[in-house]
Amino acid sequence: MRIINALLALISLIILVSFWQDNFSLYVDLALLDLHGVVIGIQTSALANLFALLIGFSWLMVSLASFASKQSSHPALFRWLPILSFALFLMVYTVDYLLFFIGWEIMSIVTYFILAPTLTPQALIKYVLFAMASALALLMGIVILYSGAETLLYMDANQGFMLLSLEMKIVVTLLMLFAFFIKLGAIGLHYWVVDSYQQADTLFSAYLSAILSKMGLYGVIIFLTQAVDIYSFDATLLTYSIALIGVISSIIATFKAIREDDLKRLLAYSSIAQLGYIVTVLALANGMGGALYHAIIHTLIKLLLFINIASIIALTKRSKVSELGGLIYRTPHSFVMLLIAIIALAGMPPLGGFASKYLIYTSLLDAKMLLILSAVMFASVSGFLYIYKLIYGIYLGHPTHKSLESLQEVSKWYLLPQYIIALLLIIIGTFPALIIPMINSVLRQLYLTSIPYETITTLESPLGAYNGSVIMGAFGAIFVVVLFFLWRVKSKTKEAKDRFDIAYCGEEPTTTTPLHYGYGMTKELQRVSFIATIWHSSSGTFYNALTEILYAFSNRIRKLYTGNLAINFNWIILFAVLLLWWGTQ
Amino acid sequence: MTEGFLKEQQTLESDLNSDTSHKRSVDTLMDWFRRRSIFVLAYGTGCGAIEMPPTFTSRYDAERLGIRGAATPRQADVIIVSGYCSYKTLRRIIRSYEQMSNPKYILALGSCTVNGGMYWDSYNTIKKLEDYLPVDMYVNGCMPRPESILEGFIALQKDIANGKASSWEKYEKNYEFYRKNQEAVLGKQVSPAYETDWYLYEGGL
Amino acid sequence: MVGDTMILFELLLILLTAYSVGFIYYGLYRNITARFQRRFGPPITQSFYDSIKFFSKEESTSHGWMFYLGPIIAMSGAIMTLFFIPIFSNSTAFQGLSEYGNLFVVLYLMVLGPLGNALGVGVSGNPFGVMGVTRGLSRLFALELPFYIALIALMSINQTADIATIASNQQETINAIAYPLLFIPALFAFIGMMGQSPFDVVGAPVEVYSGPASEFSGKFLALLMSQSAIFSFAKLVLMVHLFLGGASGFIELLLKTFILFLFVIAFGSLYGRFKTPQSIDFLLKVPTAIAIVGLILATYN
Repeated sequence: MRIINALLALISLIILVSFWQDNFSLYVDLALLDLHGVVIGIQTSALANLFALLIGFSWLMVSLASFASKQSSHPALFRWLPILSFALFLMVYTVDYLLFFIGWEIMSIVTYFILAPTLTPQALIKYVLFAMASALALLMGIVILYSGAETLLYMDANQGFMLLSLEMKIVVTLLMLFAFFIKLGAIGLHYWVVDSYQQADTLFSAYLSAILSKMGLYGVIIFLTQAVDIYSFDATLLTYSIALIGVISSIIATFKAIREDDLKRLLAYSSIAQLGYIVTVLALANGMGGALYHAIIHTLIKLLLFINIASIIALTKRSKVSELGGLIYRTPHSFVMLLIAIIALAGMPPLGGFASKYLIYTSLLDAKMLLILSAVMFASVSGFLYIYKLIYGIYLGHPTHKSLESLQEVSKWYLLPQYIIALLLIIIGTFPALIIPMINSVLRQLYLTSIPYETITTLESPLGAYNGSVIMGAFGAIFVVVLFFLWRVKSKTKEAKDRFDIAYCGEEPTTTTPLHYGYGMTKELQRVSFIATIWHSSSGTFYNALTEILYAFSNRIRKLYTGNLAINFNWIILFAVLLLWWGTQ
Repeated sequence: MTEGFLKEQQTLESDLNSDTSHKRSVDTLMDWFRRRSIFVLAYGTGCGAIEMPPTFTSRYDAERLGIRGAATPRQADVIIVSGYCSYKTLRRIIRSYEQMSNPKYILALGSCTVNGGMYWDSYNTIKKLEDYLPVDMYVNGCMPRPESILEGFIALQKDIANGKASSWEKYEKNYEFYRKNQEAVLGKQVSPAYETDWYLYEGGL
Repeated sequence: MVGDTMILFELLLILLTAYSVGFIYYGLYRNITARFQRRFGPPITQSFYDSIKFFSKEESTSHGWMFYLGPIIAMSGAIMTLFFIPIFSNSTAFQGLSEYGNLFVVLYLMVLGPLGNALGVGVSGNPFGVMGVTRGLSRLFALELPFYIALIALMSINQTADIATIASNQQETINAIAYPLLFIPALFAFIGMMGQSPFDVVGAPVEVYSGPASEFSGKFLALLMSQSAIFSFAKLVLMVHLFLGGASGFIELLLKTFILFLFVIAFGSLYGRFKTPQSIDFLLKVPTAIAIVGLILATYN
């Protein structure tokens, strides 16, 4: 089954790349089914191609990593993954809301089938409730949009939107954004994200984080640019609200990630934070380029991170920072791959993560949203803490358990996708403008100004440019020179005798001395009031309170129906009469 | 104007400037730098440690000679054995000494390191430090005042400049000798142990 | 070809200047602190002696290849930061590589050095080192918030992210006088970045066993000390360009960096050390509030 899955992924990617430039469209008028005026269709476009490329790439990488070990993933994953991916392809290539909704529903249901064997009932219920809520809100939004101009096509959606009354416009915007932000994991609506990522198969968490969350992004882009046509009028309130949601997601999720001990929960919060950066700039006219760039880079980084974590969890059967440690010289290739991933995640210049952050920052600066820019940069810097915790907890430090001392390198099938993605990150870091033409074609399709582009090495923006290849080249040259100098200097290198030969105040630690600083690494931050507030609050409080209120309310209403059949019958007739009367209004 | 005991000190130290013809020129250059920058491990091993804070701070200012404190043995050049060494402390001194990088020096303060000093009949201290660790410079007294410690440092600097302060080479060459002596009092495990040592292993009394 | 060799020669000269000036400033720091404490200090060139002594140690203990590469990454990060800051603001010479980058690039390159240090000390397994690294990272995000707010205000006022342009736009009044409410929070952050009290808990020598430098010996420690000197010089030049009007000559640059440096060490000599949560709490409240007020006043007009 895994072989079929991988072959399908490879074939889809090959078809996509070879037919990249071709245009294909297919429109079907549903008058055949007595639905006059309803047209559904599929059409290739730059935006669809970009997202399809991300889908195909994620699918292929996850499929490659799946060959490493048969036991580490539930077989349900590979039965349903092709169907899930095809649903996603349908969702991006369609140009009408009906097929989009069909794709969305297939995506939610198939994700349920994949998650069901491995999640606990509580986590599964959380996922189901939020998926259903998003689907219902989406359906309501689509229906209200249809009621405007009797059309489901994206390109005519703006006409429909304009014909609605102001209250309906607000309602439909709120509904659609609610639906898509649930998938994106915006803070407040992220209640299902963390548990699902933690308890799913790690390779499926990679798929969830890399591409399924981007489907919410795709929905928001389609809705904001084509239905609402946000760049054609002064939408300051909407822009600021979306930016505020994005930046609050980033800050809160970053600090919650710092506290986490479990690796997958840490990466789940990190996903929420990174998607927060994308959401922040989404509604800005200059920001769409940065948002798309960060979407691409984030897909690559999260694939790399989750596949790396998957290999470590499969190797050691442990998934907590407090139970790992000291694996660097046993799995050196994995360490280097994770090092590249965290340098890109932190957004440091030699690698690709900086280019997307640079575009985001300059677009916020250009739009004069300065306080939001400060908050985004603050969230980005605070991320260094959980980034260091990730790499120190697994690879550096001391092994916390005897079994960790006698391990071999992870399987090549895990390393192969990591090499590919790391190479891509290095290339994008050295030539940051390499993917700008692809992004520019999307921006042209959305009638936005393109990012200025001259050479593949220089990334331009309204407030200045930087040259990625000079940074990479200078770093490489300086590194080699300093390495040579250190090698030739008089002082010789003497290796430490064993892992206990550390300067430990004159004492000698033994095997039972706790030396791995992974678990308690950032516990002292709870003395800072700002961070303690974030750590002790949870969206679960709100949802549990909501549940209690609903229980109390429905308890009251239940008492209307006494055991007496006659009274029940009277209530039902009264209710039907009220509905009929309202329907005639 | 030197008189009294200061004149004696001068005559005693006058032959420290012996010939340096055995050194290569690069060693001369290196020793010129090594004498001007001395990092002392911040480890007060015995009661002589009370004299170290005044030496390194404002009143007697050892920093003008280029001497400053270092936090870890990895960063230190000199370890000051300031007074008596109980067996418990001796383990930690040996571990810290072995973690320091060559070239390293030992400055022994007080009479306890010479012949046991005040604790000459104690069951728990060592009587002659030279048997267990190679010493570069002794500073006598009980305990020596900061001025004496500074003179000891100046004499140590002169030894470094002449290339005579090579106790670390002596330690490496005669490691079996030192190790035998260390094991005689500390038992087979010379590194720090967390039980009461002296009556669980051989030796001690 | 001639242009390339000229640039290489310029970069080498910038590096040597940063190294020498950084070390001499560190010697001056020890001297001035000593005078505050009513004593004389070591000679001004003491840092050179320390550095060469460490390079001439017979052997340096290492914990594997990552430990070997850690200080090298730290040094590369410091040198990269130096190269991307123009040394003189109103000239075409000694611009380094700054035309290929801008302020955002410099701000993110500043984190590369501590990352290399953190990786090296992490692989050695010394828990005190990791403790110091955690303190350093916690202090980092608290320091950077007021600093970023002030810098973002400056970038917005000058409509550019280029350091040389910001420096040369200060012909009439320097930014420190024109926008004092931006200068003060940046100064607080700068005191922490230079490792001075009250924000210097990271490398506390005895309390946390010198923090991130705890396991390095010999040539690795010398590389870290050199990296620290070069990095301090780069940060001083950055602050001079952003707030003190830049410099068009070497004497002017030395004078301005020395005044800033003197203020920082004087401040550090007077104050004791905050604990990590205390410094984070303070930095997220007082300087941030001042910076936000300064941002609003400077940009909304």
